[in-house]
Amino acid sequence: MRKYLIACWLLSLPAIIPAQEGFPVNGAADKNHNYHAFINARIYADAETVIEKGTLLVKDGRVVSVAATVEIPKGSVIHDLNGKTVYPGLIDAYTSYGMPEVKRKQGQDDPQPGAYNWNQAVKPETDAFRVFAADEKAAEELRKLGFGSAMTFVKDGIARGSATFVTLGAGNDQADLVSERVAACYSFDKGTSTQGYPSSLMGSIALLRQTYLDADWYKNTTDKKERNISLDAMNQLRPLPQIFETTNKLNVLRADKVGDEAGIQYIFKGSGTEYQRIDEMRNTFGKFILPLNFPMAFDVEDPFDASLVSFSEMKHWEMAPLNPAALEQKGIVFAITSSDLKDKKEFWKNLRKAIQYGLSEKTALKALTTVPAEMLGVRDKVGALRTGMLANFIITSGNLFAEKTVIYENWVQGKQYVFSDMNAFDIRGTYDIKIGNISASLKIAGDVDRPKGNLMKGDSTKESVSVSLIGHAITMSFVPKNEDLTAGESGGTLRMSGSVDAVTKRMLGRGQLSDGSWFDWSATFKTGFTEEVSKPDTSKKEIPSLKDVPYPFSAYGKPKEDPTLIDQLKNRYDAVLIKDVTIWTNEADGILKEKDVYMTQGLIVRIDDNITPTKGAFAKIIDGKGKHLTPGIIDEHSHIAAEVRIGDVINSEDINIYRQLAGGVTACQVLHGSANPIGGQSGIIKLRWGKSPEEMKIAGADGFIKFALGENVKHSNHGDNNTTRFPQTRMGVEQFFYDNFIRAREYDDLVKTWRMMNQKSKGGLANPPRRDLELEALAEILKSGRFITCHSYVQSEINMLMHVADSMGFKINTFTHILEGYKLADKMKAHGANASSFSDWWAYKMEVMEAIPYNGAILHKMGVNTAYNSDDAEMARRLNQEAAKAVKYGGVSEEEALKFVTLNSAKMLHLDKKMGSIKVGKDADVVLWSDNPLSIYAKAEKTIIDGLIYYDIDEDKAMREQLQKERARLVQKMITEKNGGAPVRKPQPKSPKLQHCDSSEDDYMEE
Amino acid sequence: MKKINYTFLFLLAASTASAQRPVPAKPQSKSILLMNGVAHIGNGTVIENSVIGLKEGKIVLVADARTVRIQPTAWDTTINISGKHVYPGIIASNTTLGLVETESVRATRDFAEVGAFNPHIRSIIAYNTDSKVIPTARMNGVLMAQVTPRGGRICGSSSVMELDGWNWEDAAHKTDDGIHLNWPAVISRNFSDDGPGPFEKNKNYDSNLGEVEKFFTEAKAYCENVRPDEKNLRFEAMRGVFAGTQTLFIHADYVKEISEAVIFSKRLNIKKMVIVGGRDSWQCTALLKENNIPVMLGRTHDLPANADADVDQPFKTPYLLQKAGVLFCIQNEGDMEAPGTRNIPFLAGTTAAYGLTKEEALAAITGNVARILGIDDKTGTLQEGKDATLFVSTGDALDMRTNNVEWAFIRGKKLQLTSEQTELYHMYMKKYGKE
Repeated sequence: MRKYLIACWLLSLPAIIPAQEGFPVNGAADKNHNYHAFINARIYADAETVIEKGTLLVKDGRVVSVAATVEIPKGSVIHDLNGKTVYPGLIDAYTSYGMPEVKRKQGQDDPQPGAYNWNQAVKPETDAFRVFAADEKAAEELRKLGFGSAMTFVKDGIARGSATFVTLGAGNDQADLVSERVAACYSFDKGTSTQGYPSSLMGSIALLRQTYLDADWYKNTTDKKERNISLDAMNQLRPLPQIFETTNKLNVLRADKVGDEAGIQYIFKGSGTEYQRIDEMRNTFGKFILPLNFPMAFDVEDPFDASLVSFSEMKHWEMAPLNPAALEQKGIVFAITSSDLKDKKEFWKNLRKAIQYGLSEKTALKALTTVPAEMLGVRDKVGALRTGMLANFIITSGNLFAEKTVIYENWVQGKQYVFSDMNAFDIRGTYDIKIGNISASLKIAGDVDRPKGNLMKGDSTKESVSVSLIGHAITMSFVPKNEDLTAGESGGTLRMSGSVDAVTKRMLGRGQLSDGSWFDWSATFKTGFTEEVSKPDTSKKEIPSLKDVPYPFSAYGKPKEDPTLIDQLKNRYDAVLIKDVTIWTNEADGILKEKDVYMTQGLIVRIDDNITPTKGAFAKIIDGKGKHLTPGIIDEHSHIAAEVRIGDVINSEDINIYRQLAGGVTACQVLHGSANPIGGQSGIIKLRWGKSPEEMKIAGADGFIKFALGENVKHSNHGDNNTTRFPQTRMGVEQFFYDNFIRAREYDDLVKTWRMMNQKSKGGLANPPRRDLELEALAEILKSGRFITCHSYVQSEINMLMHVADSMGFKINTFTHILEGYKLADKMKAHGANASSFSDWWAYKMEVMEAIPYNGAILHKMGVNTAYNSDDAEMARRLNQEAAKAVKYGGVSEEEALKFVTLNSAKMLHLDKKMGSIKVGKDADVVLWSDNPLSIYAKAEKTIIDGLIYYDIDEDKAMREQLQKERARLVQKMITEKNGGAPVRKPQPKSPKLQHCDSSEDDYMEE
Repeated sequence: MKKINYTFLFLLAASTASAQRPVPAKPQSKSILLMNGVAHIGNGTVIENSVIGLKEGKIVLVADARTVRIQPTAWDTTINISGKHVYPGIIASNTTLGLVETESVRATRDFAEVGAFNPHIRSIIAYNTDSKVIPTARMNGVLMAQVTPRGGRICGSSSVMELDGWNWEDAAHKTDDGIHLNWPAVISRNFSDDGPGPFEKNKNYDSNLGEVEKFFTEAKAYCENVRPDEKNLRFEAMRGVFAGTQTLFIHADYVKEISEAVIFSKRLNIKKMVIVGGRDSWQCTALLKENNIPVMLGRTHDLPANADADVDQPFKTPYLLQKAGVLFCIQNEGDMEAPGTRNIPFLAGTTAAYGLTKEEALAAITGNVARILGIDDKTGTLQEGKDATLFVSTGDALDMRTNNVEWAFIRGKKLQLTSEQTELYHMYMKKYGKE
């Protein structure tokens, strides 16, 4: 049968090939300008317009007309498509079809030779159309799915250059190339660049930001002293659609932010996880290109192995097919791509699954036709069937989205590709067959191209017959059980060959018994074949909906509360009243016993005896008898939620947020590593578990930047090969700072001068200074608009940095870690620096050999505002105990020790007006402890942020039980799927990477 | 060459800068009576008002002050510790204390030898009695340590040391107490530029296991000969394990690794086996109990193994083992384990907030450790006849808020409770005129 199909395909070759104009021809010219008329078809002119019994007229690879009635010119090839449906050829909006293979280069840290951008990952000058060459194998794979054209680009780098738009096999590359540049492509992935920078997401963001500014500067510089092909290309690509590839939902937000700053609205190539933060996705106002990469089920039959699979992975397995429907429900415009599928054959299966999950067929069709056409500016050519457009269309057996529909043919610019012969000779039916002189009944069923036979004699015997057909020649064979057909005693296979009449289906032929003796056979057609209608699956499948999405998408996440649901009303509260509790106020009142605290609208509103809730308030009343209430713990130095190691977009899904709530932490400063003297901005967040990254940020918080000193910036512990990057000594670090701050001051002066000049004389005497984000940030420090928290250990360098600061006229806000702070507490006090230290870490590297646990106490006693930080996701859960070490080592009072992790850290983060103590008017960020909060036996029972209970020890217990049930449900569902024959994969639990200060990425963050 | 010189100079400078370190104590010559303290015996019991007598390095009297008649004159020294707490010396098990000084400096790391099967490698000889880290541990009540090598499949043998002494011979409490085997990982993970990747089934598990089996089988056969044709140091070092005079410590965390280790040691008829790490031991308590396998549990101050796990799982694992009747102790392997030795009392303290009683929590770092190490005939609890290795704290020693060690004794020797850290503290407090 396969042979037959190939023959068909070969026959189709000479149809209509657009010749490469001007190319020499080998042999006689084979011009063909015939019309092709497709009649009696159900035609989707576009996703909205259906023509019943219509005609599509095509000539020279273009649509001549599409209508219910079309005059068919003489010399037309007629295709009767009665009962068939015609759709516009589908468009894959995101491929690397026909692109050269991207190879990882070996090489040095040097820029690309030539007048290009300094960073190899920025290559906007790459034009896909220049390197495009049709790839017949890949084209065929896409055509089989119904695609007739595709956007394609070189998938490499951060600024990836222009994408082109091609058809999938119009006959030659010249014809395939439809539009040269249709989009500019970006990602956060540096690809094959051999340079060290950027080595992190943070670095990629910074690089892209600065590159946009550089491109602007380049454009506005009239008197160019240098030429830069890359920046030039960047500017030329600006009018095109800008497509940003993302690898998870949060990267969409990160990219959107970069875009907002650069005045660009990206189209996002999605990852399939968008439904997990769907409202944030909508709020980007971006369009999406969605993959259908739904995950496979895990093999969870072994309960221990199953426990290695996280709830979020299981849940994503269940919910992923909802993604397109979720975007549709939220009115987000999207295209669908076949990219990211390991096996392209999954495409239709997954798309139909998405439809089962609520995606409408119309939206699905648009996502494969008009939407990508419009997105890529090729709507006049593809995505619909209208006069003058490319003759790209598919012929199907019916509704494209229905389970059994077959795509018979795919026409690309008038070139026909046949996958299944829609006019295939159908021999299926019942026959009276005569084999020798034995009469029997033959029933041929199965598929048209894969018929299956059954031979029946009398009521008793039923033989399964293998049937195959080539042209009208038929072959049948079977192993007869019927004695009459058995030759001798040997048994064996009976073989027959013959021909079938094209009209009457009468068969005539000869056959051989197993002993080699020949016989004649014939068969007469009796009745046609009727398809057995398979029973619809009546087992009602539970289809998840957006209501089931937990926030965050993790264990201990919760679905968003729906205020319209009565059963959720009982959880409602707008005030919290804690009664008879011991309050560590951190104020002049000290520790108050048996008092009440009333909190509403996010604030502490009353501290008194016998408070009763305001009338009409839904107050949650908590008995605090025997318990202790403290301000929420504030961690000055954390690396949780810092997937990007930057405040740009916080990783709102990090389970450590929840774990730390369970340890009474309400706010923290999220920092990246410490590989560079001048680092990046931090993020200051409240641990509002479940909220979006933006919602977690503390509004109006001052901007902080991380600096670092010592072994990490010197790369001292990076092995013996890392000895060339400046600085390698503390001496170098000093000059590094001077160099940068002096340049920043000069830069700032230059910018000021330019602005003034510009106002007075707009004559454009000079070019604008190149905007430099790093120098800008340093200039902000010089102007006290940004504050430093500096990773530091030994006294010499701390002293040095204070000298740098004093001589340049700024302050070091905080020395963090500061383990030798005790050696220059007096100098720190004089400078006005804060100290954020570890209680008792030491001996892990050379520069902490003289770290002592009395450090905090000495600094405190010397009047330096002192805090203890965690720098560690585990220890942050016990910062109250770390504070107690200030009591143990150096005899700080308990009340003052608690401030080490509350008020004092609030002060150094400039948050003490709102946080850090329990005082009327301050934020209702408090923790209810089972015991003295400095005791190792104390447990946080309730952690309250903005007057809302984010952690409750009882609710936690309930959630554990619920999690176990939900996991069990998902496990059962996966096992059902596995038993149903679906492929499964072995459990591969995710283990998130934890950050701390020695996670030292080599990036400069330039803001 | 240049580099080495710098290091050398630095070390030289550092060593001349340190002035005072605690002088190893002299053997007990005078008897001591500790009166009226709260005695935490280390086996789950308490005497609220106790008398404890120390003589010639041994505990000679432990009694309830209200029920015994004491003749104070019979004692050379009488110390009234009324209101204070007395505990057996805490034993840090499975630690590199004394084998490493500065973790990032290769020259100071002496805990991991090259090679896969190194039972002949002995930690005791590298144990540095002069480590600056050791005094900081003593000051919080940690008085003994099972000093353990790391690395390879069989890391070598550990020894139980007392945290006071002029040299390692002096400090040895039990030499070569056991051999440490790192069980092959059933699941593994790759490390890329982006850090640790996801766990996968270890494709090499069978071959890794095969190597272990082969080594043990060969060693066992070898050990059947008292005088083999040619000596093999590695096999020789295994004699104690097969004879039952040394313990086989198998390091394993994942539940399947633990159960594999148990079945293995049973199959090879290993007489004394201990699971070290045992993160998931709470998931196979029946197996452990039935085979009498104790667990040296990893640090309780740890994050749960995965996002779905109970937030407090590491805090409550000891309670689950206790409830199931599995003998266990708590150790501190992990990041900064040597300098973190001083926090071992608090690793136990946490468990008392998550199910254990305070006395059970204490046993997990004293009496139980001694039982698991097979030194409970001599130490681990405050009982008559045992070593006078104990300390007195002003308050509850398991809580950092109250832990304050006033006196500490190792076999009756009164320790000098200072360190370079206390010295620096006083030096700068004086500089600033604060004391």
